[in-house]
Amino acid sequence: MKPSFLKKYGLHAILFPVAILWISPLIWILVTSVKTRIEVFDSSSGLLPQNFIWENYPSAMSVAPFGTYMVNSFLVTGGILICQIVTISLAAYAFARLTFPFKNVIFSLFLLQIMFPIYAIFLTNFITVRELGLMNSLPAMIVPFIASGYGTFMLRQAFRQVPTELSDAAKLDGCGHLSTLWHVYLPLVRPTLIAFAIISIVTHWNDYMWPLLVTNSESVRTLPIGLGLLAKSDSGADWTRLMAATVIVISPLLLLFVIFQRRFVDSFMHAGLK
Amino acid sequence: MTSTKLPISRRHFLQVGAGAITAAGMLGTTPLFASGTDVVKLQFMYPVGVSGDINRIVTGMINDFNASHEKVQVEPIYAGSYDNTEQKVMTSLGVGEPPATWLPINSALQTFLGMDALADVTAMAKADDIYQDFLPGFLSICESEEKLYGLPFQCSTPVLYYNKDLFAKAGINKAPDTWAELMETAKALTIRNGADVSQWGVTFGGGWHDWIFESFVRQNAFVPWQKDKVMFDAPEAIDALEFWVKMVKEGVMPSASTWQGSANDFMAGRTAMLYHSTGSLTNLRKSSPFEVGVAFMPKNKTYGATIGGGPILMAKNQPDTHLQASWTFARWMTNTQNQTHWCKETGYIAARKSSWEGEDLKAFVNEVPAAKVALEQAAYAGAFLQVPGYHKVREYLKSALDRTLAGEIDPTSALKDATKQANREIERLMRRRG
Amino acid sequence: MRFPSEKSTKESLVALAMLLPSLIFLTAFTYWPILRSLYFSFHDVMLGSNKIYFLGWENYERVLTDALFWKSFRNTAFYTLITIPAAIICALLLAVALDTKIRGVALYRSAFFYPVMIPSVAAGMVWVFLYAPGYGPINGMMDILGLPKLEWLYSSEWALPAIMIMSIWKYSGYFMLILLAALQLVPRDLYEAAKLDGVSTWHQLIHITIPLISPTIYFVVIIGILHSYQIFDYVFVMTQGGPADSTNVLTLYIYQNAFQYQDIGFASTVANMLLLFIGILIALIAATLGRRVHYLGS
Repeated sequence: MKPSFLKKYGLHAILFPVAILWISPLIWILVTSVKTRIEVFDSSSGLLPQNFIWENYPSAMSVAPFGTYMVNSFLVTGGILICQIVTISLAAYAFARLTFPFKNVIFSLFLLQIMFPIYAIFLTNFITVRELGLMNSLPAMIVPFIASGYGTFMLRQAFRQVPTELSDAAKLDGCGHLSTLWHVYLPLVRPTLIAFAIISIVTHWNDYMWPLLVTNSESVRTLPIGLGLLAKSDSGADWTRLMAATVIVISPLLLLFVIFQRRFVDSFMHAGLK
Repeated sequence: MTSTKLPISRRHFLQVGAGAITAAGMLGTTPLFASGTDVVKLQFMYPVGVSGDINRIVTGMINDFNASHEKVQVEPIYAGSYDNTEQKVMTSLGVGEPPATWLPINSALQTFLGMDALADVTAMAKADDIYQDFLPGFLSICESEEKLYGLPFQCSTPVLYYNKDLFAKAGINKAPDTWAELMETAKALTIRNGADVSQWGVTFGGGWHDWIFESFVRQNAFVPWQKDKVMFDAPEAIDALEFWVKMVKEGVMPSASTWQGSANDFMAGRTAMLYHSTGSLTNLRKSSPFEVGVAFMPKNKTYGATIGGGPILMAKNQPDTHLQASWTFARWMTNTQNQTHWCKETGYIAARKSSWEGEDLKAFVNEVPAAKVALEQAAYAGAFLQVPGYHKVREYLKSALDRTLAGEIDPTSALKDATKQANREIERLMRRRG
Repeated sequence: MRFPSEKSTKESLVALAMLLPSLIFLTAFTYWPILRSLYFSFHDVMLGSNKIYFLGWENYERVLTDALFWKSFRNTAFYTLITIPAAIICALLLAVALDTKIRGVALYRSAFFYPVMIPSVAAGMVWVFLYAPGYGPINGMMDILGLPKLEWLYSSEWALPAIMIMSIWKYSGYFMLILLAALQLVPRDLYEAAKLDGVSTWHQLIHITIPLISPTIYFVVIIGILHSYQIFDYVFVMTQGGPADSTNVLTLYIYQNAFQYQDIGFASTVANMLLLFIGILIALIAATLGRRVHYLGS
């Protein structure tokens, strides 16, 4: 695809202003994170800070053991993601490529998970997690999310876009279901898997209420709880440090996104099939 | 869970069924209370209401406590906002494993009493200096029917903040002291460009405006609730709301705001005066590019204020040794020295007279005279809406206030509605409890 | 009834084995709570108490006559019907535009996706500032454009639309990412062929791209509807449902009833009603849109 120069610039002319609009809140977050408290709402001091107050960062980190929180956040989101990839690939394959009785009914049951509002199931899940003896531990934040109706649905849609000739060919080569899934389907839908991974990570990285309910000790808590310390203030937010903490919380995600979005480009199917 | 049957009795009453909540509590693998050693282990769940550093201060205080008490170990558990803390405590109560001590907002007192969750500590307090040394208004937030259920720890009230620069610009040299003066001052400070208001005279912090409203009613020498009903439709309350409506109609105050937004508005000079919590003092003082004045909320018939923030409560469902240890802990957190420390570090009002008489706070007041305003106003302060189901009652009241100020309904009908709805809810809860 | 052949029996068993890991966890953490919620909805259950009373249909009668429930319902419906289509159209255009090899594509993609990453507490707080009536940049911009300044979050008329605008900002990138992933599954040679035939970009979008990624568009529409539950986070941070309940939505109402009013029975009832509405809506979409989805593989 070789767009003409005009077309190329035309696209930029539309995208660029929109992108600027979109990132303006981020710019505000970044700028505020290095301001003094007085500058934040002082209209006479202008957009940019007089001096860059990097001190806000260590100061934000000092309200809670952010290092421990960061490690826990990695473990919890990573744990959830790995388990989810296993459960959803298997289930999505079954829904996309196998015939079995009550398929549609069972699929609707999977969707129930996303259809039911989460605050209505907190109480029962709290009791279940407690009975499993998982209270105040990292698994307590993982187990409720291991199965994902969302991921199953997303992957099923992608699997169904894979031409059947490919799996037929694999079958002729003597591949079983599992190896067809592994060697044919998963590589082909890699962009979807990556998109799902990003979404799953972001969702659970920022989860607040459930971790707050099932953990007590700082040794098992996650980043959003540290952020909550600065945000949930009855006295008006601690703006500069809240924004510094926000930057700290999202930078690993942003980095991850920038690395992984490249993977979108070189998909096999996209490049042209047959 | 699956093994537990869900019996539905023909009589409309299931004592243990409870969807296995109690059964679960008894069968749980974790022991309810640590035993085997001489050390008593306690949990303390607390919210962070003012700023992130509070977490460090509380943890520091508890570390000191643990270091100086061999037989008691307290585990501090930060539990989010006041709401989150309440949820966490209630969920734990539901499974029969309450924390030994916790720090809710004082309005929740009747709610926890309704759940039969609180230990009566009156006798222990009488054997101590509690009744002599605590400010009576503050102590009253832990009292119901002459019995004491906790010790006031972090107390706040609304106060009037004002922007001294804007006052000087308008040639006003003192904060308003009566409702009439409030109106006049607000008028003088409002700046309009045609239909646009570029500077409001006064803003009441939204989201907690029902809390501020109760202060106004108290300034009419009336408390609009008892422990089992509300009286928002009393003439004193209607008069207060009519005053609010007048302020909005005169165009000197916005008809609604949010808690965070109103604090921002003040710091940005969008409003010249602000009703907000004393808890915000440090933040406003440190973040405003102008000098912040603090004054009593203006009086009508009298001065009046409502106490926010909360006491340390102790669980009923714990062995005597643990209750004794919980008391030791609560007593220690609220001792003279710690209340002084807490007040200086956070801006909450120390609840002990002896703290205020100490050299430390005297020096602090000299440095930050505003802190003294909060203390003096506390003499006129009382508990906030301690009725069963206060959350819902607050919603009814807030909704009535919002609708009135937006001009959808008149004050009398709005407050009558709210009273009726609130009392119906309270009755429902009392019936259920009984 | 026809007897299943040996092959199809075997296939069913394979399917069961593949579904089992998911089903175990769904049973424990989804179906069990839903069943309990159904049970609770016929009882008076109080958070923190172990007494439970049978009520019959009383909670449902209460819901149906509860003015606030209907107001929250209307707010939720209004929010969903405007925000989700807007965000999806926005996302589709972005995805198509960013499926090219233009310069700085990584930056553009990040610029549109980053809002998804911002924790809702922080995002909510930032937008409280952006919407500030006096000094907030949004009103500043309205002024420059010659539009009337609004009170935004302070007004019962504009508070919900304000949160809707913010949601479009937050979620367009989210849907964009999913659609972008789907576009990667479209064989390039189809475009090449279209180009040779002289098909315009617009026609390419309507007649080739959209039909080919229709399974994902279908997915995004359904997920989008369910995502409207997320509005809870912003309402909770920004307005707590006010002013005058103008931003109260069903998920907030469920939360309030369960955790503030301790009324688990009533909260469960509202949750069940919400499930019922959403179930009907999704069934309708599946029956209409779902039938028109074009699966390349099938």
